[in-house]
Amino acid sequence: MHMPEDRPILKVRNLRTRFKTDRGIVTAVDGVSFDLYPGETLGIVGESGCGKSVTNKSIIRLLPERVTQYDPDSNISYHGQNLLELSERQMRSIRGNDIGMIFQEPMTALNPVFTVGWQIEEALKYHSKLSSSRRRDKAIEMLRLVEMPNPVKRMDEYPHQLSGGMRQRVVIAMALCCSPEILIADEPTTALDVTIQSQILRLMDDLKKKTGTAIILITHDLGVVAQACDRVIVMYAGQVVETGGVRDIFHRPRHPYTRALLDSMPKPGAAGHQKRLPAIEGMVPSLFDLPVGCRFADRCQRRQPACEAALPELVDPETKSVTRLATGRTTPSVRCFYPLELRQTKERQV
Amino acid sequence: MSMTDRFFKTREFRKLFRNKSAVIAMLVIAAYLFTALFVMCGGITRETCDTVVGQNKMPGFFIQQTPEQRYENATSKFLPMVQRALSRADQTAALADVRLGQERVVNKSAAQLQAIIDRAIELKNELNQSEDLDADSARLPQLKALEDQVAMLKAPLTGWSRLMQNASLVLGTDAQGRSIFLRGLYSIKIAIQIGLVTAAFCVLLGALLGAAAGYFGGWVDHGIVWVYTTFSSIPNLVLLVVLSYAFTDSEVKDTLLPVYIAFGATFWIGTCRVIRGETLKLKRMEYIQAAQTAGFSPFYILVRHVIPNTAHLMLINFSLLLIGAIKSEVILSFLGFGVKGQPSWGIMIRDAGNNGDVVSGFFWEIGTATALMFALVLAFNILSDALQDAFDPKHV
Amino acid sequence: MFAYIIRKLVYNIPVYLAIVLLVMILLRQRDPVAGLLGKNADAKDYAAKKQELGLNRPFLIQYGDLLRSIFTFQFDEESWTQPGVTVGEKLVEAVPRSLALTVPALVLTSLISIVVAMISAFNRGRFLDKLLVFLAVLGMSISFLVYIIFGQYFGAYQLSQWLGRPVFSIHGYEPGLVNWAYYMLLPVLISVIVSMGYDTRFYRAVMVEETQRDYITTARAKGATRGKVMFVHMLRNAMIPIITRIMITLPFLVTGSILLEQFFGIPGMGYVLLSAIRNNDFPVVETFTAVFAGLFILSIIATDILYALFDPRVRLQ
Repeated sequence: MHMPEDRPILKVRNLRTRFKTDRGIVTAVDGVSFDLYPGETLGIVGESGCGKSVTNKSIIRLLPERVTQYDPDSNISYHGQNLLELSERQMRSIRGNDIGMIFQEPMTALNPVFTVGWQIEEALKYHSKLSSSRRRDKAIEMLRLVEMPNPVKRMDEYPHQLSGGMRQRVVIAMALCCSPEILIADEPTTALDVTIQSQILRLMDDLKKKTGTAIILITHDLGVVAQACDRVIVMYAGQVVETGGVRDIFHRPRHPYTRALLDSMPKPGAAGHQKRLPAIEGMVPSLFDLPVGCRFADRCQRRQPACEAALPELVDPETKSVTRLATGRTTPSVRCFYPLELRQTKERQV
Repeated sequence: MSMTDRFFKTREFRKLFRNKSAVIAMLVIAAYLFTALFVMCGGITRETCDTVVGQNKMPGFFIQQTPEQRYENATSKFLPMVQRALSRADQTAALADVRLGQERVVNKSAAQLQAIIDRAIELKNELNQSEDLDADSARLPQLKALEDQVAMLKAPLTGWSRLMQNASLVLGTDAQGRSIFLRGLYSIKIAIQIGLVTAAFCVLLGALLGAAAGYFGGWVDHGIVWVYTTFSSIPNLVLLVVLSYAFTDSEVKDTLLPVYIAFGATFWIGTCRVIRGETLKLKRMEYIQAAQTAGFSPFYILVRHVIPNTAHLMLINFSLLLIGAIKSEVILSFLGFGVKGQPSWGIMIRDAGNNGDVVSGFFWEIGTATALMFALVLAFNILSDALQDAFDPKHV
Repeated sequence: MFAYIIRKLVYNIPVYLAIVLLVMILLRQRDPVAGLLGKNADAKDYAAKKQELGLNRPFLIQYGDLLRSIFTFQFDEESWTQPGVTVGEKLVEAVPRSLALTVPALVLTSLISIVVAMISAFNRGRFLDKLLVFLAVLGMSISFLVYIIFGQYFGAYQLSQWLGRPVFSIHGYEPGLVNWAYYMLLPVLISVIVSMGYDTRFYRAVMVEETQRDYITTARAKGATRGKVMFVHMLRNAMIPIITRIMITLPFLVTGSILLEQFFGIPGMGYVLLSAIRNNDFPVVETFTAVFAGLFILSIIATDILYALFDPRVRLQ
């Protein structure tokens, strides 16, 4: 494994993203903090609507400006500058150049009326001074890098002529062609077949090792997390509820929500003996109508009276000291008054 | 829960009713429908619309009439009518026949009436000596006296008839002295009637043919597409004019039938296209394929599964067709190929144009027709937009 | 591609035959002879006239004759109301007049409304957008007739009263480029104002739909400027519906605007056609409708070809 350095490349602190809607203001991301280290893959997991995509679109500032507000305390620090305070012009030189992005739907993320080559070259056009023939060479090289069969021929083809997996390779080539330091992958494999999924994940892992790019991988699929991530952030209703190394999260989940997520995942090998998979009862609370206490309390089987009275802080599950920020590389944190004891989680096998 | 219930209690409908402008538009449309219903129940008849209620081209309520207009108003219509009746052999019957809108001759002896008329004629002759009454303020008392004399000829109006007379003059009169207000209201019925009949017929026909073409494919599809390509390859207005031309000499020429046929033949095409496209999309859906696999008859699947799922498109098209029909009716009537023998907004606009109203600065007739039509079409446009927003937000 | 065009043409032959047939049947619902002869004609005159016009021939023979003249481009039948003038001459005379009105109107309307639509879509949800959308709906709710009548009154009549000299013609027409502005500019402007509402709304909807596409986000994530996103990514995709809309209106350029020509006394195609219908001039009505329908079908085929040029997903088969 690539040996990570010890200074985070991206520091997200206290990110609060609000949207103005017809029904009032909603806080879609509520005080999220984390660090991203070079060469690591950080997974952000949660159900749809938990704020994981908004978090990442806030980093790259692609949310509709007119309806989006960032809290003045929020800070996304990248090379000493706060991304939330940059002008659109400064942000443009970062997008696609320093931070690349891969989207969920390779079918729609590519512009149907331009060739694959044109679309890969586009980012180079904005961020490099390469001549057009050098750009073309670079684009072909990128296609080769993402293991696209017959890259020269593919350059002049249109997206509709490619299969879903090949399109996602094109999207990855596009995101990586300016050698970004950070790659944000928003559900990159959700729309793909299972076999293609693992090919793409393996490709991303290889590329990470070759280029040292740090990856933020957003997904709702714990299988993807297990295969690809080094560290995991679990989000629920706009907040971080648990963080930790991928092994800790899978073997020793401390938050009841994480535990429930793991339980609702089919376990390989146990398929024959398995009873019905337990689903998490109830619904994610509406962002318009959040409870005072723990946001998961309503669905939690371990609910106590205290859970509904106040919102728990993120704490170190061992020492119970407030960590508040889900930062650092090793400290696990959990947002629960009554975290699961190690003993209770021991029987889990992955 | 019935099918209609399921349809009307959806989230889409709640979204529609949250839209304030859509609700206002619906209220306006309701007011128009109510008026149309009132006219249809005999509130305003064709005869009422053709009745002369006052002098020609009388301006509407809030315009201060110039002395020239007041003179014209006093001396035309009623005064000569009474004068003529008095000179007839069957005086009593003739006097009883004199009517101008709700106005009747007052119940006085012939001699008394004659005296009033003589005095009025005397005043009229004096006023005639003036070159321009508008500039001749000295003669205003005489004008007032003349108006009083004419008023003395009229039986005092009470209650309903007084209300009717005032109402019919509220927006002035056209070049023949007919009430613009009543004609405008009657035209609401014509517009709504043509709009509803056309839209209902065309949406049903278009939906049935479109769903059949999309669902069965093959020769059914080819046939239906062939028919609508044929109809749409002739410019719409030309086809409408030629269609209604074909009926000009037939015995139905004074009814609305030629207009219905012309609109019915052309307006179903748009709906048919849309529903055909939607059906092609629905056909690939799993639940339709499941129904096919389960062995339901194609007709059952079409009626039970396909057509109900195009209901929102039918609703939107209904609203759009209504607007189209109302606007086309006005243009067709204006060209002389549409409504005949009864008032319509198109005919009012044409009359106003033919009588040089606009050039002489008399905007009451064209203004009334325009304003009434504008409010209705605007309301339907807003409603169609809201329907589109609520039911088919992805549509271009 | 040639195979495609040929196949499309063959496919449309039945459509074309039906159009001609439909118009002929509809026209023959009425007896034109009595109308053409006037009141004092007797039975003998009537029979002679009917013979002369060829209306006593079997219907299918008349149909065949008309089809032959269309497919051989021999428009030399004489007009019934203007003896000595052939239908072809009338066409050649009237079409340029209509085009002089409709082509500038289409170009202006399309350019202005695409720009307005882009401004509106760009400011979506803001006051300016709401205002523009509202104005478009307002404009669409007023009858064409009213625009013309008031346009004529204020633009031609009041304006020349006010300036003391005629600026635009109220009624009438003279050929020639020098006279164009005097006779045509006002009708063109009215036409632009009338169509603006419809076109702006349509183009705005197209643009708004495109702005919500994922590839827009992708382009922005690559660091593209807003201008690049709008004018390169979005416009190129929006071209497809825009072209369709413009192509569909092309054949109608030839018909001209019946109402505008009627009001302003411009003897273009619409004017000629309407008076031909009123005066039972069958050859003119039939030939003109047939020519129009032919153009219509050709432009549909041309639209398909343009589609294939602009949208790589479409292939002509």
